[in-house]
Amino acid sequence: MQNKKSFMLLFVFVFVLAAVLSACGSNHNAGGNTGASNTPSEGSAEQTSGGTGEALVIKMLLVGGKPIEYDTVFGELNKKLKEKVNATVEAEFLDWSDWTQKYPLKFAASEDFDIAYTANWAFYNDQALKGGFLELTDEMLKKNMPLTWEAMPAVAWEQSKVNGKQYMVPNNNPEVIDKAVLIREDLRKKYNLDPVNSPETFANYVKTVAANEKGINAYNAKAADGWKWHELDQILLEQQNEWNLVDYSMPLAYKLDDASGKVFNVYDTPEFAELLNYYKDLADNNAWSKNVVSNKNDVWQDMKAGKTASYSHNLGTLAMNLAELRREQPEVELAIADLTPDKKKIAAISTQNGFAVHATSKKAERSLMVLDLLQNDKEIHDLFMYGIAGTHYEAVGEDKFNATAGTPNYTGFSNWGANSPLNRKDASYPAEADAIATEWEQKVYNFELETFVFNDANVKNEVANVGNVMLRYAIPLEYGLIKDIDKGRADLIKQLKAAGIDKLQTELQSQIDAFLASK
Amino acid sequence: MNRQGFWGEVRKNKVLLMMLAPAVLFFLLFAYVPMAGIVLAFKQFNYDGGIFGSPWNGLDNFRFFFDSGNAWMVTRNTALYNIAFIIVNNVLQIAAAILLFEAVGKWFRKLTQTVMFLPYFISWVVVGAIAYNLFNYDVGTLNSILTAIGLERIDVYNTPSYWPFILVLVSAWKALGYGSVMYLAAITGIDTEMYEAAEIDGANVFQRIFHITIPNLYPTIIILVLLAVGNIFRGDFGMFYNMVGNNGLLFSSTDVIDTFVFRSLTTSNEIGLSAAAGFYQSILGFATILLANYAVRKYDKDHALF
Repeated sequence: MQNKKSFMLLFVFVFVLAAVLSACGSNHNAGGNTGASNTPSEGSAEQTSGGTGEALVIKMLLVGGKPIEYDTVFGELNKKLKEKVNATVEAEFLDWSDWTQKYPLKFAASEDFDIAYTANWAFYNDQALKGGFLELTDEMLKKNMPLTWEAMPAVAWEQSKVNGKQYMVPNNNPEVIDKAVLIREDLRKKYNLDPVNSPETFANYVKTVAANEKGINAYNAKAADGWKWHELDQILLEQQNEWNLVDYSMPLAYKLDDASGKVFNVYDTPEFAELLNYYKDLADNNAWSKNVVSNKNDVWQDMKAGKTASYSHNLGTLAMNLAELRREQPEVELAIADLTPDKKKIAAISTQNGFAVHATSKKAERSLMVLDLLQNDKEIHDLFMYGIAGTHYEAVGEDKFNATAGTPNYTGFSNWGANSPLNRKDASYPAEADAIATEWEQKVYNFELETFVFNDANVKNEVANVGNVMLRYAIPLEYGLIKDIDKGRADLIKQLKAAGIDKLQTELQSQIDAFLASK
Repeated sequence: MNRQGFWGEVRKNKVLLMMLAPAVLFFLLFAYVPMAGIVLAFKQFNYDGGIFGSPWNGLDNFRFFFDSGNAWMVTRNTALYNIAFIIVNNVLQIAAAILLFEAVGKWFRKLTQTVMFLPYFISWVVVGAIAYNLFNYDVGTLNSILTAIGLERIDVYNTPSYWPFILVLVSAWKALGYGSVMYLAAITGIDTEMYEAAEIDGANVFQRIFHITIPNLYPTIIILVLLAVGNIFRGDFGMFYNMVGNNGLLFSSTDVIDTFVFRSLTTSNEIGLSAAAGFYQSILGFATILLANYAVRKYDKDHALF
């Protein structure tokens, strides 16, 4: 009895001690790894000197939910990859619900992975500046990615450099990123309204629906997810006035056709004051719910359920929504409305999607070989993007596909980094969306500052505080929740000054000036 | 007695010390070892340097918090909310524990306890969704009832003044079951002879409660309150974030340090800035607990924590 007791105690003691020691041990390991990344470009790549002699497992970090038939598709994919470059891939998925928190942690903890999905909206500049990605030299790219080196336009490489260094293999898929709105065409016809193609006709549509359709939100937005702008701002403020915001976490913009790139505070413009009146008018006519800033629902799902009559998004998403509803509820008629049809359009820069190599990867060369095939080998590209032919999609010719019953089982994650001219188009993609896209492409406006990237290292306090002010003062103002909009705007501007907007503006202007001077 | 010195003591009490070891190791591992990470509050973090190799930047990381002009407001909100939570929750929990103790009928007691305990297991995310469905302007339960009986709708999500009450209420609702179990355990531990004696002396229920139960609960109350006071500058992030979210209109009365820091830094991922904010909270918390303990010592030495 006595023996048994002391044995148990000893056991507990040893167990806990082991836990402590192993925890300390792994800490040291992590420290060692981060130490190794001090020299991003030299070390890791050379260690595995070329060739595909040794079979390697390449770990990928992808954003989005794990597709249901991941095992089947990646099993097939790995067979092909094994054949061609003697490597297999193993993907880890960061779910949409909390990827923004997990993604930086993966780097901070220096976890073991080789390839990471990244994009201008997914921490690309941030991680590149912090040293999370391996610098990719032209030699490495030429040697390991012959197909991509051949196919990628030089400007795409140029656009994805940070401080003159390449950290990303961008996707190769020109598109326009302007936004449009999706409306209920059947309701528009019911009330005999003019076609929606301008801010005024849209306001008319929204107000009519709000006045006559009980239980429907005429317009809806997911304002509660930390987004610091009214969801129509991109259309009604930027596109309408041909401005470009440098970064969506601060209210600083320049005019597209201003060659000197002069930056101004958008809240301090007559255009914004006018837009506030427009929003206030909509809000007072119940165009959106009074609780729009606490909305927790998925707006598209609300629209499908007939509870919302319009929302704003980019063209590709709206086109997919349209196709989805046509399949599922053919009796409901939707239309995509472009509220600023005559304005200049901005082309997506290549960093809209891409893949980068982790700074501490020991398998950089092979990773690049894999990326080369994912983006530019027809067979592997099809597998990675659409799954297994006949199961997850049905090939239509060389460049189109039809969705099948299996499509939902392999979709919804960030394989877009491999977008390329080999992409197939959905054969049921709505013709009107195509028409809008073609029209937009003719109006694409190219400008010097297109590829400018703001480095906020010197002003991170101001960026954090300005963002906070926008969330607290601008969002309620823009959704018409503040009674006196002139006073609200004065408050907003005053608070921004206190948060250091002037310092931010000076810093941004000097970076832009330097950027333009170097061109 | 102390002839054998330190090691003698150790040998003599080795069983007791071993029993203590897991707890000590736990805190060593999860509280003291990570404490070295506090240096991050004074550093410009980058991956190359890691935690210890990154360059120092003095008090720069603290600037964001104090320059924002919101430092005072969020600190005040955090403290006031926590004080309200401590008072309201403890009073209700003690009351519930006493009522449960006095209640007759085993079934009734168990059932009530279970029902009270239930909210403790509901995640704040779910509570946030429930609240939204109760309070939203267009289709919320509250407003549906109000319109049905001919009253005006109230716009809860755009009116900051309702929120202190809502938050205190929700917090009390959620913590009631869990907290009352602790007090109930303490009450069950009170010597029954005292009650018997009181009964013989003709004390009624209220006299029993106020002269026996509550005085005997003092040590428990003081310990629980002291422990809670140490966290007075830490807002319950899950609660505030899920109940209020990013609704800027309500921030003046609902923003606490934790939500403010989360909102400011979630997009920039500046570990140094968050570490600085956490450090600030820890310092304030440390000062408060020292102060509170000092006050208790003044009043009654036996009841102080240390």
